[in-house]
Amino acid sequence: MRETSVIHLRDSRAPPMSILRGFLILVLFFLLGESLRLVFLVPVSGGISGLMLLTLYSMLTGGVGNSVASASQALISVLILLIMPGLTEIFFISDRFSGQWLAVIVSLFVGTFLSVITTLVLLNALDRKLSGRANSHE
Amino acid sequence: MNSSLPILERLLTLPQVLSSTPMLPIGMTILAFFAANRLYVVIGRPVWLPPVVPAAIILAGIIALLGLEVDSYLEGASWLMLLLGPATVALGVPLYQNIHHIRAMLWPIVLTLPIAASLAVGYTLVIAWALGASPTVMASLAPKSVTAAIALGIGDIIGSSVPMLMAALLITGVFTTLCVEVATRLLKITDERVIGFALGLNGHAIGTVRAFEISSTAGAFSSLGMSLTGLFTALLLPVLFNL
Repeated sequence: MRETSVIHLRDSRAPPMSILRGFLILVLFFLLGESLRLVFLVPVSGGISGLMLLTLYSMLTGGVGNSVASASQALISVLILLIMPGLTEIFFISDRFSGQWLAVIVSLFVGTFLSVITTLVLLNALDRKLSGRANSHE
Repeated sequence: MNSSLPILERLLTLPQVLSSTPMLPIGMTILAFFAANRLYVVIGRPVWLPPVVPAAIILAGIIALLGLEVDSYLEGASWLMLLLGPATVALGVPLYQNIHHIRAMLWPIVLTLPIAASLAVGYTLVIAWALGASPTVMASLAPKSVTAAIALGIGDIIGSSVPMLMAALLITGVFTTLCVEVATRLLKITDERVIGFALGLNGHAIGTVRAFEISSTAGAFSSLGMSLTGLFTALLLPVLFNL
C-alpha cells in the first residue's frame, strides 16, 4: 500500500504533465458531480458526489492511475490552504450576534465532545461485536 | 494608477489597487499558509492547535494590516477556493486505497453513521435551544459537522447565517481534533480506523487533515466519515427544519 503523506511532497516524483492529467480527471469527476447536483437536484455538493463517483469508478475498474494518485496527493497536501480564506471572514464579524455567543460556544463545545465520544464508543463496540476478528489494522 | 499623485500616495493606495486583481489575495493566502506551517513545526506540531487556526489568524492579520476589505479579499481568493472542488474529489483516492479496510468494517460503519451523525446535530441543537439561541443561530449551528461546500448548501435551505455557520464549522473542526485526542486516551482506543472515522464524521475537512497526519488509513476513514455525514446531514436537516 502506498503511504499518502499530507505534509511532505518529497515522494511525488511524477512529471508535471502527469500531474496535470490527473488533475484533469479530478476536475472531470467534479464536473460530473456538479452535473448530477444540477440535473437531479441532489442536495450534495459536486465535490462529495465526485468523491463518491471516483471511489466507485476505482472499485469497478481496479484503481486509478499514477497520475490521479499524484494529483490527489498534491491537492490533499494543501487542503488547509483551500479552507483558510473562508474561515478568515469570521474574525471580522464577531460584533454581530452579540448575546448569542455563550449559547454558541457552549453548545458547540459540549455537543461536539458528546458526539465524538458517541462515535468512538459506538463504532468500537459494533466493530468488536460484528466484525468478530480482532482489529485488523496495522 | 494615477500618475499625478506623489510617490508616497501611490505607495499607500497600492494594496487597494492590487487587491482588485486576484493575485494579491492568492499570494497572501499562500504566504500565510507557509508561515503557519513553519510556525506549526517550530512549536512542535501541538495537537491542541491545528495548523488551520494559525493560518486563518495570520491571514486575517495580513488583511487587517493592508487595510483591505474582507469582501474584496474573498472575491480574489475565490479563485483559489475553486480548487476545493477537485481537492474533495481527490479524497476518493486514499479512500479507494483503503477499501479493503472499509469492507472489513462495513456493517459497524453503516450502523454508526445515522446514529452518530444525527446526535452530532442533536446534542448541539438541544443545548443551544436550552440556552436560548435564536432560530437563525440554531440553523447556523445545525450543519456544524458537515464539510463547508455541503454545509453552505444546507444553510441556504434552512436559513443559516453564513459567517456564523463558518464560525461553527471552524470551532467544531478544531475542537473535534482536541476531543478525539483526549477521548481516545481516556477510552484507550488505538484503532486508527475508529479514530479516523470519528475525526471525519464530527470534524469534517479539519478533522480529515488531522487524520492524514496520523496515517493514510486514518485519513481514508476520515474521508469516508466526512462524505457520509455530508450526505446524511444534507438529507436530514431540510426535513428536520421543516417540522
